[in-house]
Amino acid sequence: MIDDKLTPLIKDTIDVDDNARGFHAHYTALANNLPQIAKAFHSENYHLEMITCQDRREADTVFRLVYQFNALGKPQRHLIHVDIAPDATAPSITSTSPAADWYEREIYDMYGVSFDGHPDLKRILMEEDYVGHPLLKDYVDPPSPYREDSKEGEDG
Amino acid sequence: MSTHPALIAKTARRVRMDNRFDVVQDPQSRDTYYMNMGPQHPSTHGVMRIKLHLDGERIISAEPIIGYGHRAHEKMAENRDYLQFLPNPSRVDYLGGMIYNVGYCQAVEQMLGIEVPERAEYIRIICNEMNRISSHLLWLGTFLMDLGAFTPFLYAFDDREKILDILDRITGSRLTYCYARFGGLSHDIDDTFLTQVSGFCTYFTDRLKIYEDLVIGNVIFRERSIGIGTFEQDLIQQYAITGPCLRAMGHANDVRKDEPYGIYDRFDFEVPTQTDGDCFARTLVRMDEMRQSIRILEQAVGDKPDGDFVASKVPKRIRPPEGDHYFCVESPRGSFGMYIVSDGTDIPFRMKLRTPSFSILSAMPAVMAGTMLADTVAILGSIDIVVPEIDR
Repeated sequence: MIDDKLTPLIKDTIDVDDNARGFHAHYTALANNLPQIAKAFHSENYHLEMITCQDRREADTVFRLVYQFNALGKPQRHLIHVDIAPDATAPSITSTSPAADWYEREIYDMYGVSFDGHPDLKRILMEEDYVGHPLLKDYVDPPSPYREDSKEGEDG
Repeated sequence: MSTHPALIAKTARRVRMDNRFDVVQDPQSRDTYYMNMGPQHPSTHGVMRIKLHLDGERIISAEPIIGYGHRAHEKMAENRDYLQFLPNPSRVDYLGGMIYNVGYCQAVEQMLGIEVPERAEYIRIICNEMNRISSHLLWLGTFLMDLGAFTPFLYAFDDREKILDILDRITGSRLTYCYARFGGLSHDIDDTFLTQVSGFCTYFTDRLKIYEDLVIGNVIFRERSIGIGTFEQDLIQQYAITGPCLRAMGHANDVRKDEPYGIYDRFDFEVPTQTDGDCFARTLVRMDEMRQSIRILEQAVGDKPDGDFVASKVPKRIRPPEGDHYFCVESPRGSFGMYIVSDGTDIPFRMKLRTPSFSILSAMPAVMAGTMLADTVAILGSIDIVVPEIDR
């Protein structure tokens, strides 16, 4: 059973109400355990449904990575919170879940969080030479070159 | 020539971009080369590039490059309240706009525990299924046009136009619907709408037979789709494949059946499956899905009760309880999930849109390796990608 395999790997269990939340189990875990957690889920025929991130630097001085695993058939969604320090990296789970490849790239692109062991960590939605990480809470849009141009009277 | 630093940087970048679009001989080998398909290619169905490493006409590796249509929907969600985000979901996937619009409202209703009146639930189902058929029809037309068949495109768009007219009359828009509201709908339907929908059901049942005669038996179509782009069973777990692609591999999984949202559990319909997992199987699955949608529509039109079209007790300010929430619906392309984190205020702290095409496209390098260049078009067409949904 997945719960037995997870018990030594997780830090804490958070009680959830299925009907109001849409997922069925909620844990927190340490970043070091991520590869084993992914292996445990995959050995029980779960798949990685998504990875995402929350910028909680202001309140808790952490980035919170959110991993969601689900099984085919009757849904069994497991949500795992992994808090990492803003300058830390997280281990990549690409070798177990190939789906993590693009999700980790997206988090790197949008938040600047790096993943150790990712085969090709580069931007995915923004262009390669883009500067900045747009989904950070303190992100400020760079001044538009087009507006500067029009101030100088070039390009109309 | 301008000397402004920003313009110089822009020009330099344009030169760099141009160089990347050439057909380049692989420096490691004299026999293989790189070629870009896209970003302006009719059969990528949007702005997307696939970097192909080719040996003659055989694909050694394929790397999809996305993000050309990134509109920062997730960032927008963090800068406006729940109601202000309402027009956005239907723009994420413009072909399944109604389903995304209704799905977003249902996600917020789940968070707040709002009860939706029966009548509104039935109308939502009718609109959802009409939208699903119109999305599948557009897919059918464009997929076959990718394969060189022009006639089905005209037939499919003709029928799709009928759906758009029916929905346009009642919702006010043809593509990016914003009809649902938290707790119900923006306004009620009339009897003409129901007559039109049931008329369409009768009409379309006959049309589906024509499509099957026209397409399924066609020898060119069969040659180009049977055994092409087969998904291995491992991919399901590795890449979380959902929707018609999953059902074409023999798994009868559908969000509408597995975790019925709205009132889908009251309807009698089947989840069509095929076993081969190739382009042909995906076509058959979608054809059958349209038939099942008609079944749902006929039941919904017949059973629809009278009553309110919007809940009477919807809070003026939407402030969901603190914490994480997940809600998913069956879009025409698979399981579309909304992961919403609330911090107790009326602006979402984080909203992640888990789109099905993103997962399926990320499996493409594994599917395309070893296939022929001409099959790229068939494979991409058969998975029914909508690029803005991937880029968000």
